[in-house]
Amino acid sequence: MNNLESLQFFIPELFLTAGLLVTIIVELLLKKEQKVFTAYLAATVLLITIFFLIRQYAIEPAALFGGMVVIDPMAVFFKILTAVSTLIIVFFSIPSFRVKAEYYVLLLATTLGMMLMAQVNDLLMIILAMELVGLVSYVLAGYRRSDPKSGEASLKYILFGAASTGIMAFGFSYIYGLTGQTNLFEIQQALQSTQHNPVILFVAFVLIIAGLGYKIAMVPFHFWLPDVYEGAPTPVTAFFSVGPKAAGMAVLIRFIISIVAGVSADGQTFTANAPIHAQELLAVLAVLTMTLGNLSALQQKNIKRMMAYSSIAHAGYMLMALAVFTSQSVEAVMFYLVVYMFMNFGAFWVIHRMTPHLGSEEITAYTGLGYRAPLVAVAMGVFMFSLTGLPPLAGFIGKFYLFAAVIKAEWYILAVLGVLNSVVSLYYYAYVTKVMFLNRGDDESAVSISSYDTALLLVFLIPTLVLGVYWVPVISWATQSLHFFLG
Amino acid sequence: MEINEMLFLAIALTTVLSALIVALSKKIIYSAFALLLTLIGFAGLFIYLSADFLSMAQIMIYVGGILILILFGVLMTQRIYDPSQITAHNSIWVSLAGGIAMAAITGAVVWLNPWGKTLAKDFEYSTSRIGSELLTKYLLPFEVISVLLLAVLIGAVYLGRSREVHK
Repeated sequence: MNNLESLQFFIPELFLTAGLLVTIIVELLLKKEQKVFTAYLAATVLLITIFFLIRQYAIEPAALFGGMVVIDPMAVFFKILTAVSTLIIVFFSIPSFRVKAEYYVLLLATTLGMMLMAQVNDLLMIILAMELVGLVSYVLAGYRRSDPKSGEASLKYILFGAASTGIMAFGFSYIYGLTGQTNLFEIQQALQSTQHNPVILFVAFVLIIAGLGYKIAMVPFHFWLPDVYEGAPTPVTAFFSVGPKAAGMAVLIRFIISIVAGVSADGQTFTANAPIHAQELLAVLAVLTMTLGNLSALQQKNIKRMMAYSSIAHAGYMLMALAVFTSQSVEAVMFYLVVYMFMNFGAFWVIHRMTPHLGSEEITAYTGLGYRAPLVAVAMGVFMFSLTGLPPLAGFIGKFYLFAAVIKAEWYILAVLGVLNSVVSLYYYAYVTKVMFLNRGDDESAVSISSYDTALLLVFLIPTLVLGVYWVPVISWATQSLHFFLG
Repeated sequence: MEINEMLFLAIALTTVLSALIVALSKKIIYSAFALLLTLIGFAGLFIYLSADFLSMAQIMIYVGGILILILFGVLMTQRIYDPSQITAHNSIWVSLAGGIAMAAITGAVVWLNPWGKTLAKDFEYSTSRIGSELLTKYLLPFEVISVLLLAVLIGAVYLGRSREVHK
């Protein structure tokens, strides 16, 4: 489809860009005490964007802008997921960033980048969309300029990000050199029609996985993550843990269904384009990712660092499912991301709102919280057990689908290693709950919680509980969205 | 040997040697100046690949812009000539092993594949074609870059401006 015809299928992105520009201008007209208005404006823009996105389900899968991006239900799913996660983060950030209008502009720009990542279909667009998310994320990580830790987080993020993007671009150059194409589906056809030396394809695959793996925090490209999560302001950390990760998963899925493997017309069978053992490599990396994440989380004293390693482990669970290359596993990852959004945001919200009251981010500071702020502590316990994957919470259903996909593909060893990892993770998640309820701290004064805090807490708590017993709507949403544009 | 090949060898040699100085020099100011030669060498190599526009862009952006920025950064750093401020180097053996491994892998890739042969056709200016493709085939990436630059500009201004003055 040519550029002009494509515009009608690009309304959400165009609206978001317009909203971003309006937010910049409106910010100039506001007095300092009125600047919180830009947050509400950003939220409204995102809400309308989500409305436009939902209407995109009616569109037949097609390639837009001469094949630069595609529109298909999977892209729409990830676009909605990332837009919703940013919408939540806007409300998450209002208490701490009241007068920071630029912050909301940057959030909107990142959302645009994540939405593009969900629908990329060209090597050039992959780099551009990932850089749009990446470059703005570096600024967001360093947003608290007075805090040296925040600056350190930003610097570490930018150095790792630049290196991994460079490596990925180098991998793309091999693919381009072999096939002479940048469009993912033309590359797929070129790879299927001619036999190339598998060694070169393997090297290119490894180089590209380095770039994508950095985005989703895959071992061994995870070094930036604990420092960035610890140093960045907590709302930004929460933002990084879901939206960009989901977008990175979307790019990885696109990469798998086009360059690494071909998908049959019904979307059920995946056949590898070249014998490069991509699945085995991904499986090994997935096991390394979850094991390293879980074992390192065991030793953490700082709760944000613990959550950082936990997020590495969760990336490992999702990679484990992706490694088996079935439509079921893609569906399981999509479902898991929805569940993960609620429970992870919930945990970060508790950390964010409790840190000023507790005076520290150490896990020991949470001692006796169950007696000082019962609702918050119970909610935190629910999020922790849900992240572990215990029934009857949403995390259990999410993990159940992941493991079911792996077992159905008969990768039993991988599934066993995943379950063992979940058992390890129980220790550090349960430890937080233990200090909150079984120990009593010195300070037993009640912590007062505003109604805004409680309301947002319930927004995370209720889905985490409800999706554990009634998850049919979400899984059927994921199933409906499991429909790719295939060239 | 034709003059063409001799020129190519000269450019390639300059690029590699100056890159070595960048990596091995103990004084950062030497590294910065050697980088100038490396970048100009790259521009020359681009011309050999018939990428005239890319080569000019390389000179304008990297030599004209980024390198000057690096030099300013180096010159404004205090105590740059202090012998205790030499740039740190990792263990030479580790770096060498990494470099050789990388060279072996890329060498194998180059060796194993029959890459596209040089086309025997006349040199044509690429600038006008790049211009028209940017506004037709590559319109979306072009527009996305403009949003990216806007966002990065806002971010850079935020990070770079001095603290707000309290009234």
